[in-house]
Amino acid sequence: MKKHLLFALLVGSSTAFAQSFTPTRPIELVVHTGPGGGSDVLARAMVIMLEKEKLLPVRAQVANKPGGGGVVAAAYLAEKKGETHTIGIFTGVWLTNPLTSNEAKVSLKDLTPIARLLLEPAVIAVKADAPYKTLADFVNAAKQKPGELKQSGGSITSRDNVVRQQLQKATGTRWQFISFPGGGERIAALLGGHVNMMVIEPNEAGEHIRAGNMRVLAQVNETRLSAFPNVPTLKEAGFNVTPVPQVRGVVAPPGIPRENVAYWEGVFSKLSQTESWKKYVADNQFENAYQGAAELTKFYEEFTGQMRGILQEAGVKTVR
Amino acid sequence: MEILSGLMQGFAVALQPMNLLWCFVGVVLGTVIGVMPGLGPPATIAMLLPLTFLMNPAAAMIMLAGIYYGAKYGGSTTSILLNVPGESASVATCIDGYQMARNGRAGAALGIAAIASFIAGTVGVLGLMLIAPPLARMSLAFSSPEYFALMALGLAMVVLLGGDSMVKALLATLVGLWLAGIGTDLFSQTSRFTFGRMELLSGIDFVVVAIGVFAIGEVLANMHERGGAPAIAVPKGLRNLLPTRQDLKDSRFAFANGSLVGFFIGVLPGAGSTIASFISYGIEKAVSRHPEKFGQGVVEGVAAPEGANNAETGGALIPMLTLGIPGSSTTAVLLAALVLWGFKPGPLFIPENPAMFWGLVASMYLGNVMLLVLNLPLVPVFAQVLRAPTYVLYPLVLGISVVGVYSTSSSLFDVWLLAGFGLGGYLMRKLDYPSAPLILGLVLGGAMERALRQSLMMSDGSLSILVARPVSAVMLSLALLILLVPLFGKFNAWRLKALK
Repeated sequence: MKKHLLFALLVGSSTAFAQSFTPTRPIELVVHTGPGGGSDVLARAMVIMLEKEKLLPVRAQVANKPGGGGVVAAAYLAEKKGETHTIGIFTGVWLTNPLTSNEAKVSLKDLTPIARLLLEPAVIAVKADAPYKTLADFVNAAKQKPGELKQSGGSITSRDNVVRQQLQKATGTRWQFISFPGGGERIAALLGGHVNMMVIEPNEAGEHIRAGNMRVLAQVNETRLSAFPNVPTLKEAGFNVTPVPQVRGVVAPPGIPRENVAYWEGVFSKLSQTESWKKYVADNQFENAYQGAAELTKFYEEFTGQMRGILQEAGVKTVR
Repeated sequence: MEILSGLMQGFAVALQPMNLLWCFVGVVLGTVIGVMPGLGPPATIAMLLPLTFLMNPAAAMIMLAGIYYGAKYGGSTTSILLNVPGESASVATCIDGYQMARNGRAGAALGIAAIASFIAGTVGVLGLMLIAPPLARMSLAFSSPEYFALMALGLAMVVLLGGDSMVKALLATLVGLWLAGIGTDLFSQTSRFTFGRMELLSGIDFVVVAIGVFAIGEVLANMHERGGAPAIAVPKGLRNLLPTRQDLKDSRFAFANGSLVGFFIGVLPGAGSTIASFISYGIEKAVSRHPEKFGQGVVEGVAAPEGANNAETGGALIPMLTLGIPGSSTTAVLLAALVLWGFKPGPLFIPENPAMFWGLVASMYLGNVMLLVLNLPLVPVFAQVLRAPTYVLYPLVLGISVVGVYSTSSSLFDVWLLAGFGLGGYLMRKLDYPSAPLILGLVLGGAMERALRQSLMMSDGSLSILVARPVSAVMLSLALLILLVPLFGKFNAWRLKALK
């Protein structure tokens, strides 16, 4: 027994004194969507960039752990306690799920924060032949016909609905929110004229605007995006709404050594400054929003508090 | 004329030796992953993405699309031979395909599946080439009420899929619908029937149920009934292994039915190839002169669903290429690939990248020919599998099933579920409950519920939205008509009796 203890102490102290960590086997990069989902696409692009910029001495492999909108992937990382060669890509749903689902026992707070990488802005779009030229037009129309206008979007905990809840609260109006599981179906519902409005990623909207199918009324962002210099942000359009950011970043399993955290922070802070990353961010109209582990923990708190309030106002049952 | 010159340009791209080679690589890879249950096209394409950066985008697109439609060819193999549906779209193929194999006609079933795939695959590309943009616009008119009606039409097929007892078929459907309800509700974010298990939060994977009920249930039932019975007879000689002239003649309507149903349902972003294959199977049975033989191994019962799931590929590429709207997980990955290569998929993609589009179209014609030439000679090879004695074959089926399920989710929980559904499938066979209705309920249940609730949200709670819209009204009436088919039969029997 004593021998074991001594051995553990020795091993423990040797890792504590080790100056740096270098991966020796392939890295497992866990994502919570199936192939083709948002985080999966980011992860695969990241693997390509990490390789191209020679930021990792080993290969990285994407591991899809879909299920429960992030719950399964978070639990998988939590199970890998102390594992130094596994990391995961998180999004905001990893924080919101535990708020609404009893089964979602693992939150981001139970994992080791590494870095925040991206913020994903959005725009509010209508069909090109819709009568609304500004967001105020839409809100006024909603005021005249309460509950009759419709918005297509994802689940009620998604950013789409959060924007709606905030706007409804700020203006005292009400319109329908119709959930569609796939992004394609949401766009199809708008283009087919079955709903009146949607919150959409700028890149997707861009092509439909260029083809003359869509019009953008406002940007869900603090500042104007370079691709939409003439479209006002929510605040500029006269709506006192603080956009809840759509975030993506990197987490690691709990209980990993400090130098392991430092290593990952280094890799991703370097990645966020590379040309390939900057081009990827610009191509997709994301926002380069690197934050290290310490700031990320603060971000969690703010985000969770903000979301809990919004969900409760929306009438969603919160369990935590 | 524009199409002709486009096609010429396309063949100029597709016939470049390197592109031809990549097309071949794609279809071979597709066939291989199609034959093996589990790893499907979306995962394969995602894994190959880093490699595509070393290729030019047209060649990469040609190869990835080859994987997509190539997998549809391979998917029927394990369904027919082992009753293991390799992917959701080949469940309908199991119903008659496996029975054909048990009757010693595995070769004919595999052959007809390859021929139906070729014809329908080609029809799908033709449609993609000729009517993509107008059809994409038309598909936008389709929304939740229409999807609900389509799913209702699919579900009505239950009365055609059931065995002798309608009550048992309907009960099995209800169980399927209940299984579809398990998971997180999209609209309220509450979990249903998850029993506190996070593995059930996103529902039960359809493949787990299908493989359990079909493959494992069948193995267990056979072991119970026949013990160490001899292997299934496989005729000798290549000629006896391929479809006969009569088979081809019998399948003529099925080829057309599968091609058209698959293509048009494929265009709809919210439908999918599983629904397409079941609906074309149902139509085939409804118009057949000998519907009572379906389920006992008729060649049309293989040709129609196999055709439908291949024609679906051409259809599904339409919203993706003309609108930038993905309708399935495979098209979502293809779309992501286009973005990664620096393209901007959307309404202007085809006009701005004609060489890419037409190259893809031309390569799909070539790819379908390659697949036919590749798959027909493989028929006798695959058919030999059935010569294996039961003590080899059954462990093989169980092994393939477990590996297939585990490789899609890497979750041991799913393997336990598989065992549970296997036992369920065994009991259903013992008690004479048909398994196809259960699968149909499970496939359609989720989408049908969502479409109904979306419709009611659109209409502020009024059911009239379902009949006020012409397309949905027509489809719902068709569904009603199909539901009445068994009653007509009963009435007729009663009338004949009364006349006597």
